[in-house]
Amino acid sequence: MPKEQSELSKLDIAIFVVVVVAVLDPGARALAYLDPATGSMLLQLLLGGVAGALVVLKLYWWRFKEFFGFGAKEAGAASEETTHERQAEE
Amino acid sequence: MSDDAARAEPASFRDPSGHIFRRSGRIFRTVNERAVEDFEFVRATGLLDKLAAEGRVIAAQEVAAAELGEAAAEARYVLEHPRLPFVSYPYEWPFPALKAAALLHLDIQLEALDHGIALSDASAYNVQFIGARPLFIDTLSFRRYAQGEFWIGHRQFCEQFLFPLLLRALFGVPHNAWYRGAQEGIDTVEFARLVPAWRKLSPRILTHVVLHASLQKLGRGAARRVQASTMRKGSLPRASFRRMLARLRKWVATLEPAERDKSLWHDYAQSHGYSDQEVEAKTAFVSGFVTETKPAMVWDVGCNTGHYAQAALAAGAGYVVGFDADQGALELAFARAKAERLDFQPLYLDATDPTPRQGWAQGERYGLGDRADAEAVLALALVHHLAIGHNVPLASVVDWLVGLAPTGIVEFVPKTDPMIQELLKLREDIFPDYDEESFLAHLRRHARIVRTETVSATGRLLLRYERKD
Repeated sequence: MPKEQSELSKLDIAIFVVVVVAVLDPGARALAYLDPATGSMLLQLLLGGVAGALVVLKLYWWRFKEFFGFGAKEAGAASEETTHERQAEE
Repeated sequence: MSDDAARAEPASFRDPSGHIFRRSGRIFRTVNERAVEDFEFVRATGLLDKLAAEGRVIAAQEVAAAELGEAAAEARYVLEHPRLPFVSYPYEWPFPALKAAALLHLDIQLEALDHGIALSDASAYNVQFIGARPLFIDTLSFRRYAQGEFWIGHRQFCEQFLFPLLLRALFGVPHNAWYRGAQEGIDTVEFARLVPAWRKLSPRILTHVVLHASLQKLGRGAARRVQASTMRKGSLPRASFRRMLARLRKWVATLEPAERDKSLWHDYAQSHGYSDQEVEAKTAFVSGFVTETKPAMVWDVGCNTGHYAQAALAAGAGYVVGFDADQGALELAFARAKAERLDFQPLYLDATDPTPRQGWAQGERYGLGDRADAEAVLALALVHHLAIGHNVPLASVVDWLVGLAPTGIVEFVPKTDPMIQELLKLREDIFPDYDEESFLAHLRRHARIVRTETVSATGRLLLRYERKD
């Protein structure tokens, strides 16, 4: 069982939530004041149908790969992000 | 500061859409600029008026901003709400009350969705009670539904309604203590840890508890990896949202306390050793008192199944709040209040540890003492429970009880009575001061004794007091 990832900075989490919620709400007004929580959103993605399920599966896949040490080398924007963060951590 | 100044309600600060204020004994709500579009949209549908007419949502009347004075400076609208007889919190509710609140919330969500309206949260503190009837009080929670949006309140619903209910329904553990300690609800991941493997096979538990918790942990690590474009592919179709709500509603409706065994005190009504004659005498004493004094608000501390509360209401009391520590008794009391449509609100209370003030800055949620505005108190079969059962000094018990209301009825049970002999069976009798004489002396320090009556052959005494101040 892989150890929990080291604590994300609050900024990471805030950015994630804002991005997720803003992107998923096409008529994006001011956001609801309540923090919806990642787990709940992912659960609803799963319940919502195939497209959603694929997203969640992808997350599990990344986690699975990380467990075997294939962490950061993701194609596309993700690698840019993680490189940046690795630099920040050094 | 003039008495007339508006005061902000301490619990109403999280949602910037608007706030609750009190002024001159009236309750107002401001609607701020950011909430106006949604407010007007919802108002146009007429949904809130309909729900208010049905007694499911609190009534709201638009009033002039001048009614609220300076506090309304930034508000576009000002609403006035009727006052609630008694504010209470989810950790004070008995199981059936929490369940009724959860069902009300889901029903409102479902009906709102059919009008193209969503709720911006799922807080259990948005429900209050009048008697046994739940009432949704957060007018500004309603806003326009956006196609494909997620149920923002799902996590909150689970942590503030579902898991506390499941704690009792699956494990037989009452929610009150945990909930009082964790006022934002029972954490998803923590609750999931309690679920034994065999229970995880249930699809509902698997979805809303296990999978929910597991995805919560997954999500914690995901931020670094998730790309906006990936998440963009996801949304929750309206039909799926509706189905999710409907299924949850169906599930919650089936939840009942796990332990069906009779609890200590609810059996009391059948087997306390009171003859019917004695119950009649006690009831008559209570009725006589209420008929004479006509109290608008009565506290029945140790209300058991609510028999005397009902008698008080029949004799002309305005509203009775009942308190008891026995879950079974409270459930019967709630059932009685619901069936007979009584202005009787039974709540969980451990008299030796009343609800404190808590929450943000220890001021967000009122303590029991903050809400003490009873005109009369009933304390039947309570004194010995505290003095002997819980070692509280007799003088202290009297002080506390008499402090709750200017007048009331207190029962004194003598040490020779079988009920107390039972309590002392396996203990040392360290109560030399526990006798009628001492009790009367303690009482007379604060109050005059208006009337007494011995209601049993064993010498149980009812006293009606009037505080001297």
